[in-house]
Amino acid sequence: MAATVDHLSTNASHRIASVRRVKNATVWILASASLLAIVGPAIWIIVEVSKRLLRGWHWSVLTEVGSGLAGGLENEIAGTVLIVLVVALLAGTVGILSGLYLAEYGNGPTSNILRTASEVLAGVPSIVLGYVGYVALVVYFHWGYSLGAGVIVLTVMVVPYIAKTTEVSFRQVPTSYREGGQALGMTNGQILSRIVLKSAAPGIATGMIIATAIAVGETAPLLYTAGYSQSLPTLNLTHHPIGYLTYAVWTFYNQPSAAAQQLSFDAAGILIFAVVALIIIARILVSITQRHSEFS
Amino acid sequence: MEPREYVREHRFEEPATLSQRQEHSNNEPSDVVIETRGLTIGFSQKTVLSNVGLSFPRGSITALIGPSGSGKTTFLRSLNRLNDDVKGFRHSGDVLFNSESIWASKTDVLSLRRRVGMLFQRANPFPMSIEQNVIAGVKAHNIAKKSQLKKIAQSRLEEVGLWKAVEHRLHDSPFRLSGGQQQLLCLARALAIGPDVLLLDEPTSALDPMSIEAVENLILGLSPAITFIVVTHNLAQARRISHSTAFFFEGELKEYGPTKQVFEEPSQPETQRYVSGRLG
Repeated sequence: MAATVDHLSTNASHRIASVRRVKNATVWILASASLLAIVGPAIWIIVEVSKRLLRGWHWSVLTEVGSGLAGGLENEIAGTVLIVLVVALLAGTVGILSGLYLAEYGNGPTSNILRTASEVLAGVPSIVLGYVGYVALVVYFHWGYSLGAGVIVLTVMVVPYIAKTTEVSFRQVPTSYREGGQALGMTNGQILSRIVLKSAAPGIATGMIIATAIAVGETAPLLYTAGYSQSLPTLNLTHHPIGYLTYAVWTFYNQPSAAAQQLSFDAAGILIFAVVALIIIARILVSITQRHSEFS
Repeated sequence: MEPREYVREHRFEEPATLSQRQEHSNNEPSDVVIETRGLTIGFSQKTVLSNVGLSFPRGSITALIGPSGSGKTTFLRSLNRLNDDVKGFRHSGDVLFNSESIWASKTDVLSLRRRVGMLFQRANPFPMSIEQNVIAGVKAHNIAKKSQLKKIAQSRLEEVGLWKAVEHRLHDSPFRLSGGQQQLLCLARALAIGPDVLLLDEPTSALDPMSIEAVENLILGLSPAITFIVVTHNLAQARRISHSTAFFFEGELKEYGPTKQVFEEPSQPETQRYVSGRLG
């Protein structure tokens, strides 16, 4: 046997080695190109938006409400924050609970219905959801353009993401944790809250970030449901239109006025930095909860 | 034999703990902790274990041996009802813990598991600090005051010989410990809730020889205060630590007796072939 192997090694193994090297290089190049395709645009967007933001930045943008095509963005900032907070609360609750149900108890027909419905919902274009929200909430229920209508449409939109990521992260918790808890005589609730939830937290947090980022960046469904207003938002759920940053990005950019266009860039910049900040905060929180993790 | 001596000495350093356990044991009515009667277990159509009758004397160390798939792990996991939630689980016959059926309606499965603890093949610390791991069970059963928890953690870690190694990193992740240390941590966690019986499912199969020795010495040292039932593929280990050995083969209990007898004068041909290394 040894002789055959030796014989092979002279010629054939050189060939095998060079084929392997070519494969290695190809994969390396493709992987680097993919990385570049992701990192490049991200950096480009941040740099370009920052440049335009800084060109005419006034701190008053943060403290003044809009007036016509000028003024500040305080109303839009407050509106976006309010919308996102309520969406995170509503969609977080519904999404995490549905994901938990699907992962822990979901094997019957009910969960199949829930899972399919959730997948269908995730595939519906946001503008369609906005239109449905407009017809049902704004018109039929007479809510008018309002915080309530906007928030409900956005919640319906992001719940599937949260549910899916929650389900997946619960399913990925090693069975050995559950068994260890059971063997110690812990109740299912204790196992869930003290061990499983901790281990699933990063996945759930990722889902929440994606959901929040979607909610921050969505325009079409809000145009249909939240309307727009240049006064500061109130906590009224109905009959009070509300401003938000994506509206400013979209509308002011199309105006023939330098001040309006500057507001558009300001709004875009604020949105991007808000999303980046959100990601960083979530990362920090996750790394704190995961300091005892098996996989850190 | 030297390690055994060491453990004996070590035991006497903590007379309180041990005598408490002894006292606890003496209060029990019978000399048999766990007894199975005609235990048959299956999952859906498949019958994994047929008609197993075994009793485990209080304070004894019993080894369960047999080829893979012979049903010994299923048997072990039935004793603390860990199989109950497995899909398609069915059973007939009975398991008695202190003369009471573990499936009786008045038996609380959580208290059962508190008294019949378990150690798994792969060490499974929880994703929390080393100290929190040790007291996880104590907190779950709410059996100690908050002010005592640190002390409990320390004494259990001392008991398993891990204290010196982790003294200064009690708040670190348990996953930075070696495999052997992780298993000892799991043992400390199991001991902390004061079990009468410990079920060990190949507890040392993933460990290095030094750690195996440490775990075996602990088992010997904790017996007879705690009754041990140990599934093992390591025949030398079964001979080293167990009083009795049960040989499982194709879902049946083929042979049971004193370890020496099972290994040296087995009555069944399968046992003979297995212990001599010609089967399995």
